[in-house]
Amino acid sequence: MLGWLSLAGFAVLGILIFGFTPPDKYMGFSQKIMYIHLPTVLGAYVAFFVVFFCSIGYLWKRTEAYDRVAKSSAEIGVIFSALVLVTGSIWGRPTWGTYWVWDARLTTSLVLFLIYVGYVLLRTFAGPGERQARLAAVMGIIGFLDIPLIHVSVQWWRTLHQESSMFRVDETGAAKPSMPPELLVPLLLSLAMVLIFYGYLMLYRIRVDLRDEALQKQLAKG
Amino acid sequence: MNRPYRFVLGGALVAAILGFIVYQSFEATVFFYTPAEILAEPSNFEGKTIRIGALVVPESTHWDPEKVLLSFKVTEDNQTFIPIVFEGVKPDMYREGQGVVVEGRLDSEGVFQANNVLVKHSEDYSVDEAKRKNKEAAYRSLMK
Repeated sequence: MLGWLSLAGFAVLGILIFGFTPPDKYMGFSQKIMYIHLPTVLGAYVAFFVVFFCSIGYLWKRTEAYDRVAKSSAEIGVIFSALVLVTGSIWGRPTWGTYWVWDARLTTSLVLFLIYVGYVLLRTFAGPGERQARLAAVMGIIGFLDIPLIHVSVQWWRTLHQESSMFRVDETGAAKPSMPPELLVPLLLSLAMVLIFYGYLMLYRIRVDLRDEALQKQLAKG
Repeated sequence: MNRPYRFVLGGALVAAILGFIVYQSFEATVFFYTPAEILAEPSNFEGKTIRIGALVVPESTHWDPEKVLLSFKVTEDNQTFIPIVFEGVKPDMYREGQGVVVEGRLDSEGVFQANNVLVKHSEDYSVDEAKRKNKEAAYRSLMK
């Protein structure tokens, strides 16, 4: 159900973004990547927040369900954060003139990806059981701290990456996105869509995990 | 002390140390310098590969397509200026008044010999009325 909704949603968004949304004044068509780049950022942030939340939950309550959700969410987050880096590079080439620089925003984003690749590797190699879940939970909590760092990186340090468009503070102190509504509305729809898509992927991944576990039990019984 | 508290305390400690290291390392290696910082102590920067981050001074651009030579001035406070010479193609997004990050070396005459010009873009997005009206031309420009 969520899967079909995502598919239809992305199709409609594609038509809306390429057919009806005007191009950016300076960047022209390359600005369309924003409608993929920002949603993948949101997807990664949400996925890793779920890891963070469920990791705390697991250490607290030691419930298997928390661990399962954290594990599934981390894998999806790794894919989203890889897409963040890829779409950002593709956007960087025509606008900045480079695929990559080691500025604070790009470096901390790469670190985020690497932390959760490490998390997935840890889960693969630490062997099954409660110890693996415990170690992973600690890593899931500490790793999440990179996200606030990414967010403030463009304010704390000098970077090539521009400051936040969505949370820009105007003269009165109110946060206001720095783009006209006709560019903003498709972006907000894309952001909403990626949350639905994340939900779909999560439910799917958890279902696979439950079946895998049932299979392992059957095999163990022999 | 029971187990969850030990974890929380240990985790917070590790996070604080990591945070401190990351913050310090970014502070120590500034991504770019401003013209004012460089001109205050030019001898510190001469001959070293550095980045300058500043705005392109309006009407300072000289672009020679035959020699593939771009020269312009940058400033960030409208008081200190550094001339830039770049042997390479003018970036697509290059505009006067726009923020740029140039990589290269300051020579003994105070001219910055750039080997790369990166264009910053602001967090502002806007729509050009002309492009909105002539969508076909805008699409065609993609194919060029």
